[in-house]
Amino acid sequence: MIHVSDLRKVYTAYERGSSFGEALLSLIVRKKKTVEAVRGISFDIEEGELVGFLGPNGAGKSTTIKILTGILYPTSGTVDVMGFTPWKERKKYVRHIGAVFGQKSQLLWDIPPLDAFYLNQAIYRIPDREFKKTVNDMIEMLDLKDLVKKPTRQLSLGERMKCEFIMAMLHKPSIVFLDEPTIGLDVIAKGKIRDFILEQNKKGTTFILTTHDLEDVEQLAKRVIVINHGDIVFDGNMEKLKLHLGDKRTVHITAREKINLENNGGIVVRKQSSDYEIEVELDLSVVKLDEFIHKVNEESKIRDLSVEGPDLEEIIKKLYTA
Amino acid sequence: MKRDRESKVRDLRFSALGVYLQGMKTSLASRMAYRGDFIMSMFIMMIVEFAGPLITWIIYSNGASFPGWNQYEVLLLQGIFLLSRGISFPFFMGIVWNTIGRVQEGTFDLLLIKPRSILLMSIATAFDSEDLGKLIGGILIFRIALKNLPPQPLSHWISFMVLFLFSLIMMFAFGLFMSGLGIVWVGNYRIYDIFMTVMEFGMYPKSIFSKSFQSILTYVIPVSLLASHPASALLGSVDGTVLPALFSSVIFLLLGIAFYFKMVKNYTSAGG
Repeated sequence: MIHVSDLRKVYTAYERGSSFGEALLSLIVRKKKTVEAVRGISFDIEEGELVGFLGPNGAGKSTTIKILTGILYPTSGTVDVMGFTPWKERKKYVRHIGAVFGQKSQLLWDIPPLDAFYLNQAIYRIPDREFKKTVNDMIEMLDLKDLVKKPTRQLSLGERMKCEFIMAMLHKPSIVFLDEPTIGLDVIAKGKIRDFILEQNKKGTTFILTTHDLEDVEQLAKRVIVINHGDIVFDGNMEKLKLHLGDKRTVHITAREKINLENNGGIVVRKQSSDYEIEVELDLSVVKLDEFIHKVNEESKIRDLSVEGPDLEEIIKKLYTA
Repeated sequence: MKRDRESKVRDLRFSALGVYLQGMKTSLASRMAYRGDFIMSMFIMMIVEFAGPLITWIIYSNGASFPGWNQYEVLLLQGIFLLSRGISFPFFMGIVWNTIGRVQEGTFDLLLIKPRSILLMSIATAFDSEDLGKLIGGILIFRIALKNLPPQPLSHWISFMVLFLFSLIMMFAFGLFMSGLGIVWVGNYRIYDIFMTVMEFGMYPKSIFSKSFQSILTYVIPVSLLASHPASALLGSVDGTVLPALFSSVIFLLLGIAFYFKMVKNYTSAGG
């Protein structure tokens, strides 16, 4: 569905110092700087995938997404989305895509979302019957009821975000680009939005999710692409990502007797709050989990125990700083 | 028959004009959410536009004049100038502010992801209802001037209508250049001031300027088409410079379109 090959985007930026003198000087002479935002990346996305697109700020992910949505022209490389080259056939192409930007609203502040939906109906040429059905279905799915008739400014952030989703999906796009769709939302609103995304994905819509919220990634994305300094540093499914730093588990133990564990062969003590409480990281390629638990139980009589999977945040941090 | 009519209505609603009208409707609804501010802004816009005609009145009241033009002829010219602004500013010149603002805050992207011409989207989301005050002011002054001038034959009115259309085309071309600059010259609101200053030359009869400056106003940036030529046409005193001015205005428009789309191609968007 999406084929990206050797995509590059180079900007010319101007450098300006922070001092007053440098700012003054910049009015006459400006130092040019070439920024390589995207450095020849390649990837493919199949129909119906839900891909998490991650990267630290300034890594090049927004630039990539903007090229994929036809907003920006690349410096070189090829992009084929559903047979279209986004920046060359923008008008025809964008009819098939939708976008939700967590920090840029498509709604109009002083009028109800429903009025903004009507504007989109005209823009996307959606017949009345289809428009009404889609709006009603989505209102029901997102539990919005009559809220779409209230001025946007009177809605909560969560309610507004739900309306943004309706706005982006009225024309039933095949691909939806999501940029921080749950930013600033409470857990309930986040949950509702995530359920909606999963439901639409099950119906066949392809989603490309850009976010810094790793919970979004864990709960939604089946595949993750991590971009850093304009290069792809990871591309694979969640399981592969979790194994990226090795097959590790964090084990938290509280025991009746003293725990005597030291760093050695696959065991790393991360925190020891007291003689009876410890947190260790196990490398399962070296230590077997059941044997480890059995040994600690024999020696210290386990009172409570929890095992956590690999820490995604830790893995992402390592990928970002690599 | 009924189905045929329904399909025609649907075609119109989904045409470029339909999108524009829907944009205008939402923009009006949005602006009317603050009724007091809306009415006051419109009134102020109208009052501000009376400054030019007021200067004309002062000049003529003190025995001075613009060579070759009597007071009501100048008022007619200024009424036409206001009419031109009164139509262009609310209906399509909002593109300038819209583009500059959206590029600066990064929401120009939202227009680019719509399956319509970026020019249509920029105009359809830029209807500026407050500027309707200019239109009301223009109609008032035009009416006062006409009442005090001898009636004009139909042929003068036809020439006037044609030239007035070119006045709007010139405004549109100006809008395209300003918006194009706004895309690459991020956040520079002075673009608008430059445009206003250049346009002000159109508010006076071109005969008051030196010959060399008249040539610039006719052939390089045909500002004289904004009001001077249409007013002359209505008064039956149009001269031979009108044809080169018309030709220049078409070139100016084509250059404006090419420039605007070239700048859209160079759009870099704002950071994430």
